[in-house]
Amino acid sequence: MPLQYYMEKLHLDEAELQSRRDFFEITPEDLQRLASLRSFAEKHTDVIIEDLYQLILGHPEAKKQFTDHSTLVRVKRAQRDYFLGLFSGTCDLAYVQDRLRIGVAHERVGIPPKWYLGAYARYLRSITDLISIEFGDRNDARAAYQSIEKLVAFDMALAMDTYMAAQLDALARHQAAIRELSTPVIRLYHRVLLLPLIGTIDTHRADQLMEAVLMKVVEEQANVIIIDIAGVPVVDTRVADHLLKTTEAVRLLGAQTILSGISPTIAKTIVNLGMNISAMHTKSRLADALELAFEIVGKRVTPLMKTSVSLEAAQE
Amino acid sequence: MSVHGSIPVLQIGSTLLASIQVELRDTIADAFQEDILDTIAKTGATGLVIDITGLDMVDSYVARVLANTGRMATLMGTDTVVVGMRPVVAATLVRMGFRMEGVKTALNVDAGLALVSDLLARRHGG
Repeated sequence: MPLQYYMEKLHLDEAELQSRRDFFEITPEDLQRLASLRSFAEKHTDVIIEDLYQLILGHPEAKKQFTDHSTLVRVKRAQRDYFLGLFSGTCDLAYVQDRLRIGVAHERVGIPPKWYLGAYARYLRSITDLISIEFGDRNDARAAYQSIEKLVAFDMALAMDTYMAAQLDALARHQAAIRELSTPVIRLYHRVLLLPLIGTIDTHRADQLMEAVLMKVVEEQANVIIIDIAGVPVVDTRVADHLLKTTEAVRLLGAQTILSGISPTIAKTIVNLGMNISAMHTKSRLADALELAFEIVGKRVTPLMKTSVSLEAAQE
Repeated sequence: MSVHGSIPVLQIGSTLLASIQVELRDTIADAFQEDILDTIAKTGATGLVIDITGLDMVDSYVARVLANTGRMATLMGTDTVVVGMRPVVAATLVRMGFRMEGVKTALNVDAGLALVSDLLARRHGG
């Protein structure tokens, strides 16, 4: 997903940015202080980045993320920019975009949040050490450290938001895929549709099913739709009711429904439960349903030659 | 302006065609029913096709008026077919538990007209 997508998804505009800065208590003084620390940071960047990579490469699982040398070099350069970004003295939308870019990149290559957070914690430790060496005055050191910490926390929040937004996106995509798979309306022939149902039908799915069927009937201007329930494990009153409702709705559009795949068990259940599904055409075999469907659209399946008829008869 | 005539009823041979293109408020629905029945009485039409492609919302009252109009027309000897119902309308009606029993349906005006002449032929045949 492009950067702009996440900027919008997270509602990152000026107002949101201000709100975040307020909560993380990032003041202009903080930003000024960070800017003044830039030369200090530049002086120690290489050491700090090297430090970080000792941590990563010393960890078997984390190390796996960097399989080849070129990746490592590229990531190191990016890390350098990222680190020095803390000392740019800005915390505006451009800064946020820059930070999001890293989060998005991490998410894309599948670096889990734990590596990101662990690495950032390492940064903080390295910086603390260096600051305590650099600054004799303890108040100065404390102020510097606090400013850095605020911006680091700000960055982490952005990274977490990006991770979560990406995860939610993936979830939504999967759900859409499952929805589509659960109502596969197939165009079988001109004006003939087939909906093979597999698995349990709950109310939610039944609703989607009806919608998908109705949309497709109108879209294809179909005269008949075969609903095959051979793959539905249980047909109870509720499922039968859903099927009846769908049949009635299809009829309102001006088309017909054929229910096929009715096993002996299902037939028994329907009768024993006292359900009246006489409004539907019903067939046990899909082949018979198909023949009826052809009849409805004015077609017929006939054998090519007489010999094939006797062959068929012999087989039966 | 009178609500009568806001849905024109056209005569094609011995068949009437009414295409609803306006939002069907209760008063218009009632006037529409009267217009249809009057036209049937005047023309002796044998078939009636009501096109509701333009309706994207139908409440229970309007649905009842439509269904009743069809039944009344049938009583007067006019085969009635409702055509072009939108999926969302069909789904809503069915969820409300509304059954348009005795009302014939078709996918579109073309199929509706074909069905009407089919029914007429069958009537003459048998």
